[in-house]
Amino acid sequence: MSKQRFIKIYCLSLAIPFLLMVFPLFTLGNRETPFIMGLPFSVFWVIFWILITFVIVLFLYRLDPDKDEKGVQ
Amino acid sequence: MAQWQIAMIMMIAYLVIALLIGVLAGRNQDKQSLEEFTTAKGNLGLFVMWFLMGGAVFSAFSFLGAPGWAFSRGAPALYIITYTAFAILPWYIIGPKIGRIGRKHNIYTVAGFMQLRYSSRVLAMMIGIIALLASIQYLATQMKGMAYIFSIMTEGRIPFWLGALLSYGIVVVYVATGGLRAAAWSDVFQGILMIIISWTVGLTIVNQLHSSVPDMFRNLTETAPGFLQIGAEGSTMSAMAYTTTILVSTIGFLMWPHLFSKSYATKARTIKKTVLVYPVFALFLIPLLFVGFSAVNVIDPSQIGSPDEILPYLITTVLTLPGWVYGLVGAGALAAAMSTADAITHSASLEFTDGFVKNIKRDLSSKTTLLIMRIGVFVIGGLAYVITVFGGQGLIALLLGAYGSIVQFAPGVYGALYSKKVTEPAVITGLITGTVVNYYFQLVAPTTPLDINPGILGLICNIGLVVIISGFTQGKELPMAEEYRKVGS
Repeated sequence: MSKQRFIKIYCLSLAIPFLLMVFPLFTLGNRETPFIMGLPFSVFWVIFWILITFVIVLFLYRLDPDKDEKGVQ
Repeated sequence: MAQWQIAMIMMIAYLVIALLIGVLAGRNQDKQSLEEFTTAKGNLGLFVMWFLMGGAVFSAFSFLGAPGWAFSRGAPALYIITYTAFAILPWYIIGPKIGRIGRKHNIYTVAGFMQLRYSSRVLAMMIGIIALLASIQYLATQMKGMAYIFSIMTEGRIPFWLGALLSYGIVVVYVATGGLRAAAWSDVFQGILMIIISWTVGLTIVNQLHSSVPDMFRNLTETAPGFLQIGAEGSTMSAMAYTTTILVSTIGFLMWPHLFSKSYATKARTIKKTVLVYPVFALFLIPLLFVGFSAVNVIDPSQIGSPDEILPYLITTVLTLPGWVYGLVGAGALAAAMSTADAITHSASLEFTDGFVKNIKRDLSSKTTLLIMRIGVFVIGGLAYVITVFGGQGLIALLLGAYGSIVQFAPGVYGALYSKKVTEPAVITGLITGTVVNYYFQLVAPTTPLDINPGILGLICNIGLVVIISGFTQGKELPMAEEYRKVGS
């Protein structure tokens, strides 16, 4: 994979969870019920997507063609 | 022994350890080296880096302000963990790039980065001054937090001026002697302490007041419907305000010189791994929000002076907790404030020296520069202390204005990294306009259009002007423009 392509994938795949955290898409999570694992839905939603983001970044790091920025294309 | 005595002994023990670690970290390093003082020679490891960046998030604001937000505003407090998790992510891409430019051209500040790309002394001087003023504001907030926590945990026996002097004095000493490495290692100790304390004390408070976390939330949604929603009936913040607050915090985060310049302090791989583990820091803040939520049905807001006092108020007044818990919370809050203050003091001195002083007097040797930076640490520390203890309304407005304008660096920084078309006059005009617009809507106008965050309004004007004016001012050859854009891509 080229570096340009990786940067594109990086930005797009992390934009998704970010957009789910702000309006208009946050409307989906912006409610008090149902409770999940003892947390109101809005609180659960934010924590859940932060965890997913963590997993996405781990995955992206594995994909990264140039982890040391040596300029390998 | 009385509770306050136990608390005081623990807090002082903490301060002694923090001082020792800070001073020892700088031991055996080259004291005469400018590079060591500014960037720790670019070789900080992952573990240290993680806490250095994490310490910046765990500030007095997260220890006192986050529970305060949760207590007084409810769901909008979620913005804090949201932006903490996301704001670091662009660093994965831009950090290594900035670091590589810095190593090649011997840059260690935001001011230096902008000066070279736009060949502009004026811009560097502006950044030096804004960074200085904004940092003093930031420091004053941290210092207030430290002094306040000292005073309340010892039941008023340590006065405000002494608490601030003790805790911040220690920061100044280890930063001036050991530079970045000292700040970094003391952040490791402070970071671990804060995480342990926020979880144990946070969950203890929730359990004492409500028996469990689900019970707490059940009570809360029954008695205050809408409190855990944004923009609903009964909520305290509109959807637009919430969204733009997250945006401005996320964009502004990496523009803070003390975070931006960490790109120079380590290798590309370490930057990436720091980003990798960073969202976990956002989760460390959760118990602090829970503390705020737990107090909603229990404490009448009129009982406390400001929402920020909720955590210490619960510990000292409402709950029956042993004295060592006082001490732990005191130490945790001090650690939070100090680990932010050290990085800010360090970078404020660097930015002002590199951006301003070096452009006034241009032929400084690196030995003199280092000396000025060391003295700068004391001067900035002193200024921030005087402002914290004595205040002064006009000055505070000025500092707040500077604080809000850090995010306005963003168009210039991203323009430098990804476009060769952006020019010096465009960035300067954009920066000034963005700062003025932000200042007006933050401190003068009572409301903002559509409830948009003032920083975002400034940023919109800023970006617009940068694009338009760059279009008109092409022609002057900028030798570095192409190089900046090409590095690492």
